[in-house]
Amino acid sequence: MEDLTEMLKGTLEGCVLEIINGEETYGYAITRRLNELGFADVIDGTVYTILLRLERNGLVQVTKRPSEVGPPRKFYALNDAGRAELATFWAKWEYVSSRIDSLKEGRR
Amino acid sequence: MSFWETITGSDLTREWKAFEVRAQALPPDYRAAWEQIKVHLFPHGDFTGRNLMPIFDAALALLEEASADGQGIHEVLGDDIPGFCAALAGGAGAPTYRDRWREQLNNNVARKLGRLGG
Repeated sequence: MEDLTEMLKGTLEGCVLEIINGEETYGYAITRRLNELGFADVIDGTVYTILLRLERNGLVQVTKRPSEVGPPRKFYALNDAGRAELATFWAKWEYVSSRIDSLKEGRR
Repeated sequence: MSFWETITGSDLTREWKAFEVRAQALPPDYRAAWEQIKVHLFPHGDFTGRNLMPIFDAALALLEEASADGQGIHEVLGDDIPGFCAALAGGAGAPTYRDRWREQLNNNVARKLGRLGG
């Protein structure tokens, strides 16, 4: 689905947190994972700025690892603050999605 | 950073040369993007631009990683290089030198008015 960018804003950070929660990973792999999920518009640059923000806010632990091609890659893993942030994200998501579903189904 | 470097910014010049050497090693379309990134990041600089050095370093690292993965620059940065740079510099609201001039002007005016007993 295209042109999701506006709607995804604000939730993409949570998605990235969830992906990192699954396993320690790096920017390019995160972008590919999001693309596979169907978020075709998501590009490296976007994911990269999210990762920088997570790093700045102290939610991830960063390790540099050598890669087979090119410069060393930065790998990201969640720390305790990151896991707490992820739990908050899902709580908010549950709330928003249940409200919107209610609206759609015409309940009050 | 030594006192000499603080005064002359000689360490910045050295870092810049290192950045440009790294940029030269990139494919042509990536080099073009690097030129654009510079244009869009400079307004976020402080007086010497020292605050931007780690940001430029991060941006170059992304370009290096992505080009090593064999991606096209468009897949990496899309169309919105200004937006990308604003996000790199700390969000769309990142202060630019224009904001700082404005603030300075406002402060000066407020002070002058205060002195007049307005």
